[in-house]
Amino acid sequence: MEVFGIWVAAFLTLCIYSFLYRDNPFYRFAEYLFVGVSVGYVFVLTTHQGFIPLAWKPFWAAITGESLIGLIKLIPICIGLLFFTRFSTQHQWLVRYPIAILIGAGSGLAIPNVLRANIFEQTRGTIEPFAAIHAGTLSAGEIFGAILMVIGVVCTLTYFFFSIEHRGPIKWVSKVGIAFLMIGFGSAFGNTVMGRVALLIQRVDFLLNDWGGTIF
Amino acid sequence: MRRQVPLILCFVFGVVMMLTQFSPHSFSQGIYEEVLSWALIISPFMLVLGTVTLIQTHVARIRRRTEHWQYSFIIFAGILLMVVIGIPFGPQHPIFVWLFNNVQVPMDATMFSLLAFFIASAAYRAFRARTFEASLLLVTALIVMLGNVPIGDLFWNTVLSGLPWDNGLSDTKQWILDNPNLSARRGIILGVSLGAISQSIRILLGIERSYLGGGD
Repeated sequence: MEVFGIWVAAFLTLCIYSFLYRDNPFYRFAEYLFVGVSVGYVFVLTTHQGFIPLAWKPFWAAITGESLIGLIKLIPICIGLLFFTRFSTQHQWLVRYPIAILIGAGSGLAIPNVLRANIFEQTRGTIEPFAAIHAGTLSAGEIFGAILMVIGVVCTLTYFFFSIEHRGPIKWVSKVGIAFLMIGFGSAFGNTVMGRVALLIQRVDFLLNDWGGTIF
Repeated sequence: MRRQVPLILCFVFGVVMMLTQFSPHSFSQGIYEEVLSWALIISPFMLVLGTVTLIQTHVARIRRRTEHWQYSFIIFAGILLMVVIGIPFGPQHPIFVWLFNNVQVPMDATMFSLLAFFIASAAYRAFRARTFEASLLLVTALIVMLGNVPIGDLFWNTVLSGLPWDNGLSDTKQWILDNPNLSARRGIILGVSLGAISQSIRILLGIERSYLGGGD
């Protein structure tokens, strides 16, 4: 079974790489299979890790009389079922109810958490080294890095500040912001390329060693 | 009824979830966990709706005999294969695990590794050092890419062996990632977070209603 699995994986890998030549039936077969298998996988995982333990089991316990509190799970089940009103032109407005609940809960959670994690923590991380500068525990290079950090953050934010026209000194500050952004995008691009190349190396290693090992 | 009730639901769920973040009381935490479990119960219905829509789209493709319609059967086969094994026997079943390890994982890795080729050709076209900003992006990406692989430091230590600084490329890469790159990222994170908070407030107050869709 293990060798068969390696052959299946190798066949599908070669099917996908055949796209480097041009679009062909082998690539399309793998592409469509990938979509189907991925949808099926997410469906199974969501059912077994979300719906069954959180809704079905408590609800079943309520039906069998073990714990009546599980009946409350009928409410989110019914709200979830409202998604299927999408298929009825007369009742499709009901789909707004579950969407409104999910969006409302998500927005309510986002406000304090984004404020805490992304605004307070990032601001603190930017200005915190200055306390160490005051205490005299940073080297010259680290002090330069801390000052550069503040300049970079302020200039990048200025570039995204559209409430005033970018003229005069603001224009130059935002130009420095663009330079920092370019360095950021360059780093992101470099890391992405290396990540993809690492995956390529891993697939080639699989074909040469794992699959090749079953042939030779 | 059709628009007001969803707006009220969105506001109530949002405010309740927001308030639970400010109180460590067991009652508040109980509400938080219950609403979170409701969201996890409602979400699988969205997935079912998405899957049904995918199936409907491909059934229509088969009916109309559009280009490559035969491959739609492969999507159905993929979904069916995973669901028929995964739903009754669970995601720990050996056949389900075998399908995941030998079909989905290799295809997922190969699809992403394929991007290494396209990202390289896209970079060749996009990264022409025409302006100062483009040059900055190009140089940063090159340093990050070369600093990530041993050959970068090998080149530095042999060709530039006269410099009193070993492993210069990986050190420069790390300095770029920790300073100018991080400051640009912090600027972006702060900007995006302020936007997310203002958008969340607009949604809760009913100013932003696009999620309700058109119609009455």
